[in-house]
Amino acid sequence: MHRSALPWILACLLLLLGLLVVGLRVGSYETDFALLGRTLLHYNPQDPAQLVLVELRLPRLLLALLAGAALALSGYLMQIMVNNPLADPYLLGMASGGALGASVTFAFVPVLVVGGFYLPPLAALVGALGTTLVVVIIGSRRGRIVPAQLLLAGVAVGSLTTALGGLLTFLAATEEKLRTITFWALGGFERASWAVLPYPAAAVGLGLLAVLLLRNNLNLLLLGEERATALGLPVARTRWLLLLIASGLTGTVVALCGPVGFVGLVVPHITRWLLGAVGRGNLVFCALLGGTFLVFCDLLARLLYPPAGLPVGLVTALFGVPFFVYLLRKQGT
Amino acid sequence: MFCPPFVRRLRFALPVLALLAACQPDKPATTETDALHQVRDDLGHQLTVPRHPRRVMALAPSMTEMLYAVADTSTIAARTQVCDYPAAALRKPIINSYPLDLERLVALKPDIVFTTEGMTTPADAQRLQELGIPVYYQRYQKIEDIFRGLTDLGRLLDRPAQAKRVVDSLRAELVRITAQVPPQPLPRVLAITWTDPIYVYGQNTLFTNKILLAGGQNAVVEKFAQPYPALTREYILKLNPDVIIGGSFGKMDSTFFRLYPELKRINAYRNRRVYDATDDLMARPSPRVVASVRELKQLLTSK
Repeated sequence: MHRSALPWILACLLLLLGLLVVGLRVGSYETDFALLGRTLLHYNPQDPAQLVLVELRLPRLLLALLAGAALALSGYLMQIMVNNPLADPYLLGMASGGALGASVTFAFVPVLVVGGFYLPPLAALVGALGTTLVVVIIGSRRGRIVPAQLLLAGVAVGSLTTALGGLLTFLAATEEKLRTITFWALGGFERASWAVLPYPAAAVGLGLLAVLLLRNNLNLLLLGEERATALGLPVARTRWLLLLIASGLTGTVVALCGPVGFVGLVVPHITRWLLGAVGRGNLVFCALLGGTFLVFCDLLARLLYPPAGLPVGLVTALFGVPFFVYLLRKQGT
Repeated sequence: MFCPPFVRRLRFALPVLALLAACQPDKPATTETDALHQVRDDLGHQLTVPRHPRRVMALAPSMTEMLYAVADTSTIAARTQVCDYPAAALRKPIINSYPLDLERLVALKPDIVFTTEGMTTPADAQRLQELGIPVYYQRYQKIEDIFRGLTDLGRLLDRPAQAKRVVDSLRAELVRITAQVPPQPLPRVLAITWTDPIYVYGQNTLFTNKILLAGGQNAVVEKFAQPYPALTREYILKLNPDVIIGGSFGKMDSTFFRLYPELKRINAYRNRRVYDATDDLMARPSPRVVASVRELKQLLTSK
């Protein structure tokens, strides 16, 4: 059953545009529409308010947008890969692995900037990918991913990395370190800058392109392993490709924003409810909706607790879960 | 937050009342230890403590410094793993404060345990009280509160003269430091405690009072729920502090400002007024608070 995605995509774009305009106006500096217009036409970096708009607020909104898109897409792919609606981007232990990597630097590395390079994101990436690698090694057999085994491996290794992270948190005596580690466990966009945006932009761009090319294979995989194989799909290879793309997307987000939760679980479901399981516009819409959702959540986080904002992972859960439950109940009737 | 004045006065009156009660002839004579009396700590908790405590300890490094200033040092039974000043404290046995080593603490049988608000959880304090060890909290919002805290300790440890000596000399030193009227307008100082996310000394910390006496003002004027609020880069750009404390210019240039290059626009960076202050002096509300004010003043007047 196909439903046209176009109206939904347009509606989502409109909503996103509205959120971006509002998002540009929220912050410590007063920025009215006249200033937005001036900045758009004649950007003057000497005016601090204009600088804030262009160098701080805009990258933050874009980072939230890209992170949301990456997580939603990653969740969508993970759910297809293991054929399980409970799957999310952190299936392979990336959240706790990334947090552990970052915690290790905060706990043990005295100097966090080396040669102008800020270590925690790199450590988070290493932690996330390392954990994934371990999970995949446990969860595969003779070169094939075994979904059930992979899920269990993800849970087990995730618990282990969570415990190790908990140990570091427990041993980190200072309050500031604790709060930093909390940040890495819940996520946020405060470090956004133009310099970091190319990474998630490339990840989302390449990821989207790759899965659009793989689109037909994805739909075949949804039929289950046996039927997909019978229809000539190289199941093992498709699963590996999905895993690779999803891990790349999630790893990028975890490194830059921390493991923002929930968006990667809920947005794919909403996408399928609205557009059907195999809709043509699913992938694009899923990414767009994920991005819009995170822009909204970050905006809310900043409005609720100025100036720094609540960790965005709290907001995604606090506002996402009731909505999700509502949809779930409605869907059931 | 504040003790109402009558409560404070009551706190001074209570020992007197207890003394009168102790003089009643029908009271049983106390054993070889001490008469007990009722006191009220800075958080308003009512405690029953010996009039002449023989074994005391502190659960915060600042409080250990306070005890060393006032107490007979032989009565200080132990220190925590983070108490490292004065050097003499290092020779005392260690009791872990986080997580609290309840068993060793109980085995030590202190007559009273001192701590500061925020350093010992109410749950730990409650547990200690149940085990018969009174926990006395102090709370400081201004330097004057530290002086009052020292005076209170003098009274509680039965060493009022020593406490008075210490407080008088600290006061005199502070008067000497603050004698000159600082040039106006006072520079607005942002003190950073953590880089990612950026945490700073908020308005409701002792730093606000210290920096004022040192001839500056806390750049953070807004009162946040947390004493050390997290700030955004945008917020700091808007504050545009004249001075930043958090590390030497070279160190901050290669770390903090490398991480947040947008902040290079603020006055503090452009005028290279980025300084390092001694961590312990910044963080600990102890008798060294006066040394901290002196250090801050030196930073502000250095060119």
